[in-house]
Amino acid sequence: MADQNVDSLRRHAAPDRIFHWVTAATMFVLLGTSLLPIIGIRFAWLVPHWVAGLVLTAMVLFHVYRAVAALNLRAMQLKGADFAELKGAKPGKYSLPQKGMHVAWMVVVLVAIATGLILMVKAGVPFLTRNPYLLQLKTWGLLTLLHDLAALGAVFLVIVHVYFGLLPEKRHYLKSMLRGNVSRAALAKDHDLAKVERGE
Amino acid sequence: MELLRYGHDAWGAVVVNGVSWDLLGVAFGAGVAVVVVHAVRRLLGRKSGG
Repeated sequence: MADQNVDSLRRHAAPDRIFHWVTAATMFVLLGTSLLPIIGIRFAWLVPHWVAGLVLTAMVLFHVYRAVAALNLRAMQLKGADFAELKGAKPGKYSLPQKGMHVAWMVVVLVAIATGLILMVKAGVPFLTRNPYLLQLKTWGLLTLLHDLAALGAVFLVIVHVYFGLLPEKRHYLKSMLRGNVSRAALAKDHDLAKVERGE
Repeated sequence: MELLRYGHDAWGAVVVNGVSWDLLGVAFGAGVAVVVVHAVRRLLGRKSGG
């Protein structure tokens, strides 16, 4: 791990911090453009929605590349041993709730992207010929249902994620997502630094 | 409260159009409930010195 010193550890490299904040911004655009019209705030939502969706897709592809090429997949992988935290064991780089949040976001975002990319054919975007007859009406309905469920899941996850990110005792996680480093002392309260150093 | 939005196809058969937007309040409320429950537990834990 680069940029480590006696007092601090590198927790998030710059490309991963950029991924996080661009993804967060696109998520707010996606939720705003899809849900504000539903609560009565009407505007031309479709173009910013699909543009943000494509940015999100690009960011997820970038994240997958980073995860495989540069990051330690083992550190974020949810394992049976992680549940030892419920009995007081300290985790490595990511805690059980953090891994759970990652899995939840992964499901919600991948469902939203997979269904959203197909729904663009029905909605019509400049680089695709609109074809609402590509699929049966009930299939479009099922895709929309899954896309909607992903949106509702994202609403729930945004609230929970932002709340825990802003808690004073979790502030070092937020700071590390802004600056990259986290102090060893702050991390040691809830994490096993030996495991962190081993890349677990 | 409806769970799904429905429409009709060209033959008049009922088809699912998506999730009922009544559930938007449920998703928002569930998120707020997690926040409130955690905040109350955190507050009580502090008062009891936990």
